[in-house]
Amino acid sequence: MESPFKRFLAIRGMGQVITVTTGLIILSVVFGFMNPMFFSSRNVSNLLRQIAPILLIGIGQSYVLLIGQIDLSIGSVVGMSCMISATLMTRGVPPIVAVLITIACALTVGVVNGLLVAWCKLPSFIGTLGTMTIARGIAQIANNNFNTDSIGDGAEGFRNFFYYGRTAGLYNTIWIALVLWLIFNFVLTRTRTGRHIYAIGSNIEAARLSGVSVISTTVKAYLVSAFVCCVVGLITTATSGMGAMDAGSSYELYAVAASVIGGISTLGGQGLLFGTVIGASIWGVLQNGLQFAGAPIAIRNIVIGVIVVVSVLLDVIVRSNKGKGFKMFKRQS
Amino acid sequence: MSNEYVVEMKNITKSFPGVKALDDVSFHLKSGQVMALLGENGAGKSTLMKILSGIYSRDAGTIRVFGNDIKGNITPKIAQELGVAIIHQELNMCSHLTVAENIFLGKEIHSKGLLKDREMLKRAHSVLDRLKIDIQPTSVVGDLAVGQQQMVEIAKALESNAKVLIMDEPTSALTSKEIEELFRIIREIKADGCGIVYISHRLEELQHIVDAVTIMRDGRYINEGVFKELTLKQIISDMVGREIKEQFPRVDTVRGNKIFSVRNLNAGRMVRDVSFEAYEGEILGIAGLMGSGRTETTRAVFGVDPKESGEIYLQGEKIEIHCPMDAIRHGLVLAPEDRKKDGLCTKLSVRENIALANLDELCEKGGIVNRKKEREIVNTAISNLKIKLPSAEVNAASLSGGNQQKVVVAKWLARNSKVVIFDEPTRGIDVAAKVEIYNIMNTLKQNGIAVIFVSSEMPEVLGIADRIVVMCDGRVTGSLKAKETTQEEILSYATMFEKKID
Repeated sequence: MESPFKRFLAIRGMGQVITVTTGLIILSVVFGFMNPMFFSSRNVSNLLRQIAPILLIGIGQSYVLLIGQIDLSIGSVVGMSCMISATLMTRGVPPIVAVLITIACALTVGVVNGLLVAWCKLPSFIGTLGTMTIARGIAQIANNNFNTDSIGDGAEGFRNFFYYGRTAGLYNTIWIALVLWLIFNFVLTRTRTGRHIYAIGSNIEAARLSGVSVISTTVKAYLVSAFVCCVVGLITTATSGMGAMDAGSSYELYAVAASVIGGISTLGGQGLLFGTVIGASIWGVLQNGLQFAGAPIAIRNIVIGVIVVVSVLLDVIVRSNKGKGFKMFKRQS
Repeated sequence: MSNEYVVEMKNITKSFPGVKALDDVSFHLKSGQVMALLGENGAGKSTLMKILSGIYSRDAGTIRVFGNDIKGNITPKIAQELGVAIIHQELNMCSHLTVAENIFLGKEIHSKGLLKDREMLKRAHSVLDRLKIDIQPTSVVGDLAVGQQQMVEIAKALESNAKVLIMDEPTSALTSKEIEELFRIIREIKADGCGIVYISHRLEELQHIVDAVTIMRDGRYINEGVFKELTLKQIISDMVGREIKEQFPRVDTVRGNKIFSVRNLNAGRMVRDVSFEAYEGEILGIAGLMGSGRTETTRAVFGVDPKESGEIYLQGEKIEIHCPMDAIRHGLVLAPEDRKKDGLCTKLSVRENIALANLDELCEKGGIVNRKKEREIVNTAISNLKIKLPSAEVNAASLSGGNQQKVVVAKWLARNSKVVIFDEPTRGIDVAAKVEIYNIMNTLKQNGIAVIFVSSEMPEVLGIADRIVVMCDGRVTGSLKAKETTQEEILSYATMFEKKID
C-alpha cells in the first residue's frame, strides 16, 4: 500500500494547494522581514480574525463553484443578514431570536438561488444577480433606508460570541470559521452530498443519468453559501455594533478570489476546500501585510488583483501542459 | 430460459414537436443475445433505446421487461431497478472523479450519508477483475483513454446488476485494439446471460459480435432476423429503403499537373518526415490505423499546429503556412475530423456557418457583411451540395450528421480552393449520406481540384481514392495505386512500426 503521505499528495488538486501554500509562506516571511511586528501575537490573532470572514464566504462560494455555478448574492446576503439582525436587536428582540430569524431569512435566499438555477434552469450568473439585487434591497428596506443605531447593551453577549470574546486564547470569530470549515470540509469529502457536488460540477448530465438529484444537491450548495454569508453578516453586526446597509459589498468577488487562488475550478468539479483556507489566508495576509508596510489601499487592490490573475494563470499553464498529451491522445483515438 | 425475451417493446410511438420519431415500433431481445439495432441516422434507434432506458417517455405502446408489463413512464431510476443500462455515444462520466467514484455515482454505499469508500473500492476492484479489465479503481477517469472510460461505463452498469445493456455506437472512438478488448468483454457479459443491444453504423464489425439484427427506417420497424441468415446487401437495402447501386462511386478523370506537395514535414512525435504530393483531378487517400498521425499531419499542413521543419509547395512555388489564415489565402482548406468540435459553430445557423469562412469576401469596407452576397453564396452551396434543411436559418446542430458534414464542406467550397483536405468526412454518418460525400469529392476532382481524403476505413479509401499514402506511427510507410492494391497490402504498410528493439 502507498504511504499515507503519498496518498495525501495524490489527492486531486493537491498540487495547486501546495503551490499556493508555498506562496503564502513566502509572503508571510517577506512581510515578517519588512516589519517584525507582523509576527507579533497581537497582529497574528488580528490577522486570523480578518481572515475568518473571507474564509467563511470562501467556503460558500467554493461549494457553489464546485457544482459549476456561481453565487453573486453573497455580499448582499451578508448585508441583508447584518441589517436584519441589527434592526431586530435595536427593536429589543433578544439576540438569540434575532439570530434565528436572520438565519431563516438568509436560508430562504439560498433556497431561491438553488431553485432558480437548478429547477428554473436560469444561468446562475443571472439568477443570483437577481437575488443579489433583491437581498441588497431588503438590507436597505430593513430599517427604512437607514443604517441602524447601536444594537445596545443587551447585545453584549452577542457581540462577544461573534467577535470580541476569546476561547482558549483565540478570538471566537476564528473558532467559528474553523469549526464551520471542519464541518463543511467533512460534508464535502466524506458524505454522499459532497460526492454529488463534485459529480454535478464534473458532468451534470452523467450525474443526472446516474440518479443523482441535481436539484436538491444544487439547493444544498446554495444553502451552505447562504448560511455562511449569514454568519458573516452576524459577525459584521457584532464587530461594529450596528447594522450597515452596504455591509459585505463586493464580498461575492472576494469569495471567488479566495476559492480560485486556492485552486477551486470556476468550471466546477475540481478543487479542495483546504485550498480555500489558503486562498483566504493569502488574501488576509496581503491586506494586513501591505497595510503594515504602509501601502495605500489603491496599491493593495492592485496587488491583490494581480495575485488572483497570476495564481489562476499558473494553474491554467500547468493544466494545459498536462492536457497537451491528453488532447493528442484524443485526436489519435 | 435462454429463449425467453428479456425485453419486448410493442407498438411504441413517440412524437417530438413537429416530428414523429417512432411510429408503431416493435423490438425484442433475448438473454445472452447481442442484438444489433440498425438504421440510418434519424431512423429512431437512439430514441427507441432512450425510451427503454427512461430518458424519454413513450406516447403509446407496451414494454415488457423480464415478462413484467411496465405501466406508466420509465424514469432513469426505474430503468436502473429493472436492470437496463445504457452506454452513451458521448461517454457520460465525471472526468474529475475516480473510477470507483464513477462506478458508484448515484448509488454510493453509505451509512447515514457517510461514504464507505473502502467498501466501494473493494467492490469496484471485484467488478473490474470479473471483466478482466486492467484499470485501478483509484485512477481519475479523465486520465484514462477513451476505450478505458468505456470499460468503466460497462463496469458501472454491471455493478448495478444490469441485465440489459444498450451500447450506442460503442466503437466509434476506439482503436482496433480497444475494439477487440470491447468485443471480448461483450462476449463475457453475454455468457453471463445479459442481453445486449448494439447500435452501430459500422456494418463490417457486426459479424464479429452480433447474433441478430433489428432494422429501422424513418421511425418504423422494418425487419428483424438472425444475422447469419442475412446478407450485408439485404441489410443495407432494408436500412436505406432502396438498393444502393454503388457503395463507392468512382469517377475516372485524367490526372493533371502536380499542384501541391509537402516535403519532409516534421511536427511533434506524430508527424515525422512526412512527404506527399497531390495532383489536379486526383483524390489522394491517406490511410492508416488510429493514431498513425494522419490528423496531426493535416493539422500541421493547415497551420493549426506548429511545424518544426518541412516545406510546402503549391503550384511549384514554396509557400509559408503559419496559421490557418495563410492556408486559406493560398487556396488550401481543411474539413476537420470532429464536426461538432472543430468544424461547426453548433449554436449558429447554417447560413452563419457557411458565411463564416467567407467573411473576407463577403464584407464590404468597414467590415459590413453584404447580406445579398451572403444569401447568394449560401443558397448556391446548399443547392450544390443538396443539403436537406428547412431553411438556412436553422441551427447547424439540428441537422443530421450527414447534413452537418455537408455544411462543413459547403463552408469551404464557396471559395475557389485549389486543395481540399477531408479528414474522416464519413465518420458517424449513414450509408446514403456517405455516398453523397463521395460524390462531392468526385465533383471536386472533376473540376480539377486536388482532393486529399483521410480515412481509417480501408474499403472507402480503396474505393474512392486514386492514390493512397499509408501512414504508421507518424511516418509515411507506403504509397500505392488504389487500383493495384488490396486491403491486406495497405494493412501491412499501416502496421510497419519501427522496431523498438534491435
